[in-house]
Amino acid sequence: MFRVDPLANPEPLIRRVYSYVAYRVGDGPDAEDITSETFERALRYKKSYDSRKGEPAAWLIGIARRCIEGRPISLELSSEHLETADHRDLEEDTLRGIALSAAVGRLEERDRELIALRYGADLTARQIAALQGAKTNAIEVALHRALGRLRAHLEGGEAAPVRKSQAGR
Amino acid sequence: MRSWRRNRETSLEAELRASRPEPSSELVHRLEARVHQDGRRARGGVRVAFVSAIAVAMLTALGSTGGFSYAATGAGQAVAKARRIVHVHGVTQVHKSAARDQYSKPRKKCRKGTRRVHGKCTKIKKAKGARFRKPPFTG
Repeated sequence: MFRVDPLANPEPLIRRVYSYVAYRVGDGPDAEDITSETFERALRYKKSYDSRKGEPAAWLIGIARRCIEGRPISLELSSEHLETADHRDLEEDTLRGIALSAAVGRLEERDRELIALRYGADLTARQIAALQGAKTNAIEVALHRALGRLRAHLEGGEAAPVRKSQAGR
Repeated sequence: MRSWRRNRETSLEAELRASRPEPSSELVHRLEARVHQDGRRARGGVRVAFVSAIAVAMLTALGSTGGFSYAATGAGQAVAKARRIVHVHGVTQVHKSAARDQYSKPRKKCRKGTRRVHGKCTKIKKAKGARFRKPPFTG
């Protein structure tokens, strides 16, 4: 009867959408642009939100996915971060975070998408399954495998490939 | 056991959560302002629509039960009452009263054979035809 405003509390939603987008396309201006575009679209189509179908975060992530698909952006993480990571003044945590980002960037598209949805957007396996039209169990297994591959990348310590979109900057 | 496994978060998962990219505060503020601005505009429209709907509903209800004429009568009465209260009365002059009759200027008597008609003394016309006579004295 009464419509629920999906953007009633926007701040945590902005953070979740940005984290998801940044895990997909890399932290930076591209992620900011896509996040802004996502919220512009969300405001335009706010009336189409149906609270029975899912939480506002899942709805926004669905919009963000379409925004990313509509952009010709290479989804590999930048080596800029690793270059800056060589400086001695950076703390170990920061270095570890950068290495983690680089490892996520080296994952395949599907694995990176799952990692972004689970740990960036903070969606549950059930919500991811609903978003991708898959079974919850299948998503859990896929996530487990993606984490295994990410761990292997981190332990292997391969150099991160340069992002196509950012290499030209 | 299974739920314990499911709930257990590995260090890698914790690390992924902890080091997830955060938006700049400028972006957060900008988007928040944009969302709130849109919300205010939408709420204003909803308010206007709500008030209009209430007004239309009230007018319809009044019209269907003859409330308009009732309200008009009430308003008319109220205006009349107010006018009566507010109106300032001047000094009332009584033009025709017993006192005025008693102490007025004495009128002149009409002469014999005349009578006063509309304030003027006019001659009494003799009636034409058979005269009435006194009956004869019979003792």
